[in-house]
Amino acid sequence: MEINDNKSIEMDELTNEKLLSGHEYDGIRELDNRLPRWWVWLFITSIVWAVVYVFVYDVFKVAPHQQEEYKNEMAAIGGGSQAQQAMAADTAGLVQLTAQANLDAGKATWNRLCIACHLAGGQGLVGPNLTDNFSIHGCGYKDIVNIITVGQPDKGMISWKAQLTRDQILDVASFVATLSGTNPPNPKAPQGDPCK
Amino acid sequence: MENQTFYYDNKIVKYFAYATLFWGVIGMVVGLLLALQLIWPDLSFGIPYTTFGRIRPIHTNAVIFAFVGNGMFTGIYYSLQRLCKARMFSDILSQINFWGWQLIIVLAAVSFACGMTVGKEYAELEWPIDILVALIWVVFGWNMFGTIIKRRTSHLYVAIWFYIATFVTIAILHITNSIAIPVNLFKSYPVYAGVQDALVQWWYGHNAVAFFLTTPFLGLMYYYLPKAANRPIYSYRLSIVHFWALIFMYIWAGPHHLIYSALPNWAQSLGIVFSVALIAPSWGGMVNGLLTLRGAWDKVREDPVLKFMVVAVTAYGMSTFEGPMMSTKTVNAISHFTDWTVGHAHIGALGWNGFMTFAVLYWLLPRIFRTKLYSTSMANAHFWIGTIGIIFYAVPLYWGAITQFSMWKEFTQEGFLKYPNFLETVTQLKPMYMARALGGGLYIVGTVLGLYNLILTVKGGNFLAEEAASAPALVSTSHTGESKHRWLERNPVPFLIVALLAVLVGGLIEIVPLYLIKSNVPTIASVKPYTPLELQGRDIYVREGCYTCHSQQVRPFRSETERYGEYAKAGEYVYDHPFQWGSKRNGPDLSREGVVNGKQYKPNSWHYNHMENPQKLNAQSIMPSYKWLLGDKLDISTTPRKIRIMQYLGVPYPEGFDKVANQDLMNQAQGIVDDLKIQGIQTTPDREIIAVIAYLQRLGKDVHAADQTAGIAPLK
Repeated sequence: MEINDNKSIEMDELTNEKLLSGHEYDGIRELDNRLPRWWVWLFITSIVWAVVYVFVYDVFKVAPHQQEEYKNEMAAIGGGSQAQQAMAADTAGLVQLTAQANLDAGKATWNRLCIACHLAGGQGLVGPNLTDNFSIHGCGYKDIVNIITVGQPDKGMISWKAQLTRDQILDVASFVATLSGTNPPNPKAPQGDPCK
Repeated sequence: MENQTFYYDNKIVKYFAYATLFWGVIGMVVGLLLALQLIWPDLSFGIPYTTFGRIRPIHTNAVIFAFVGNGMFTGIYYSLQRLCKARMFSDILSQINFWGWQLIIVLAAVSFACGMTVGKEYAELEWPIDILVALIWVVFGWNMFGTIIKRRTSHLYVAIWFYIATFVTIAILHITNSIAIPVNLFKSYPVYAGVQDALVQWWYGHNAVAFFLTTPFLGLMYYYLPKAANRPIYSYRLSIVHFWALIFMYIWAGPHHLIYSALPNWAQSLGIVFSVALIAPSWGGMVNGLLTLRGAWDKVREDPVLKFMVVAVTAYGMSTFEGPMMSTKTVNAISHFTDWTVGHAHIGALGWNGFMTFAVLYWLLPRIFRTKLYSTSMANAHFWIGTIGIIFYAVPLYWGAITQFSMWKEFTQEGFLKYPNFLETVTQLKPMYMARALGGGLYIVGTVLGLYNLILTVKGGNFLAEEAASAPALVSTSHTGESKHRWLERNPVPFLIVALLAVLVGGLIEIVPLYLIKSNVPTIASVKPYTPLELQGRDIYVREGCYTCHSQQVRPFRSETERYGEYAKAGEYVYDHPFQWGSKRNGPDLSREGVVNGKQYKPNSWHYNHMENPQKLNAQSIMPSYKWLLGDKLDISTTPRKIRIMQYLGVPYPEGFDKVANQDLMNQAQGIVDDLKIQGIQTTPDREIIAVIAYLQRLGKDVHAADQTAGIAPLK
């Protein structure tokens, strides 16, 4: 760009750089410095990068877009928790766990996920009261494991097998079994059938 | 040549300066309240008008359009007159600009508190106020252009280039994004839906940042920084190159708000590459500003005005580097929907806009009051408290963002999400939120100190309303051999037209194909229009600002589909006027909430209890109570008109459906009431909560209906 409406050359005293003549706006002057080289290279590099990017992703399509990325991610983990879904709600031979470590782990899961419907003491609000002597899906330990695993979504109990491991389910079921008869405050009215 | 004497209008500058300080304090205090609500949800006070979802738009709009907006007008009204050697074109237009803008701000605050919102970020204003904004903006442009036309200087200085770009682009953005069909005075539906609405909105949203928060402030920098430093601008050529590159390229970058979303890949790619290529044009302003200070750094040590400017320009440089980085897929994959975005926005707002505004006020108020700043040491204190405030604000949010996305994405060895409950990832952030509130609080302390200092300055001064100046009239002289750009600088109308063309290209190339090429939004056969009850429920969802905390956009990552369900498809949003994808998750994504076999599903009674008192179900929850939804009656008088507007917008309701829509609505409501009754909840079908539950239970259903078998098989 040629800037030549200057007649006499004026210099900035501090930097000894050329001032543009005719460029004076309410006392503000402008210097005739060229663009900083590093800035020009930054600009050129980013534009080259941009062009290459579009060619790689959208013209030659040699890099994966998000849909392929997702496919690759899922393929790499071979199903993840999906594999858990293949796990049948097999309760044969299950025995309620009584070790403190299992109950503590179960309680931790309970506090993270279950209390949003059954409340902290298991007294029930959205979900049924788990401390009384009634149950919708059966009172036994195996029944509890079953309902946590497969759920009853149309009644609001989701299946947890995609979010909890088998061991976590067994632990939390064991903890739930200990809630029976604890008489927390403000219990929800009984639902389901009396336990035998 | 004979000198003409004329008078600068300082009164209008004074008005805008006062309004800047007034709204600044209010906007920031509302921000602090929001920050505290994220720690203590009870600070929503249990009433609709002060809940997070309603006052968040008050904060953002107050800071952007009231504080920064008035600051921008202050700076422009002062500098434009001096750069044109002319009084403002019309005192009446100046007054209309001022009072109209303040009226808009008041109307905005009241209407947001009352839940009147379009539900699109930074464009929440309902249509009557939108029209007022457009009119006042045109008044501003008219007044500015009138002044430019009758100027006594031959060429337009770079600051004015930025002012012109600001005017023309904001006008286009605001009008295009706000096109809507009114239901009544207080409610309208945007004409765009889903993906298209998202693209138009973020084309607007991103460029509101560009042309309301960036270009006018670069203009201010180009005037006030060389003035305060008494140094010449480093490079005129850099001004030219970075100005045109900036306005041409900025407009393309909007899609970077929608990376890993249902937006077509090609549009995402354009957003990414233009964002990265914007680093140099953005930095051009910073470089030209900082290099202008060569030889004046000793003054920076002394003068609080220059200190504020240096930090402002540096914050601008940081922000305009961080933004492009956040636009890359690698960073965006983890930063999006977290507090990183909020931290990034505040480096810009508090650092760049806030500090530049204070610098302008500290520089200009003593001048128009013909006095010295009351206390330099108080201004220095303001500077340091504000700077520390910004650091305390941003660092905890970055830390919190890293914490949260790590938790979102962490899997156990068995292949399960380590933190399947979203709430766990929020509870972890509370200490960071406290530190952030402290940072914001410090910034406000600084602002109040500045306010006090300026009040005392004004009190001790002697206001000069009409400042005499003189300059010879503009006469046409020969400009032989001048460069093309130099010619453009003498001809404001061609300048405006070239600027207009520069900003139109990007928008047109990105937006038009999304309408014309059908394959950009593949339809999904199972996606059906909302029922009347769901539509009413959705409007309440919009009214309450649920999108300020909940996204409706599952991203194509294992960590997202494991948590929420199927990732978002463009075709599922085709009936969403407006789209509600959100940009920050203070709570979980809701777009799969209604999938009965899904991972997020909750029964009707859960939603009922949760809206009444979220903490009853999750003691740690930071969601405010929405108990009024349980008592307030749903206004169904609007249903027929809403259905007709939807039909007009292309939603395939059957002919004449508007006449039976309310019957359909009541039937569906009764079903939900019956279900709640089984759970021991007594209510009636005409309550707002019923419509909200209906809407939440619809979310994601249609997409998952497409492949039922892929879900978890129910027991029976």
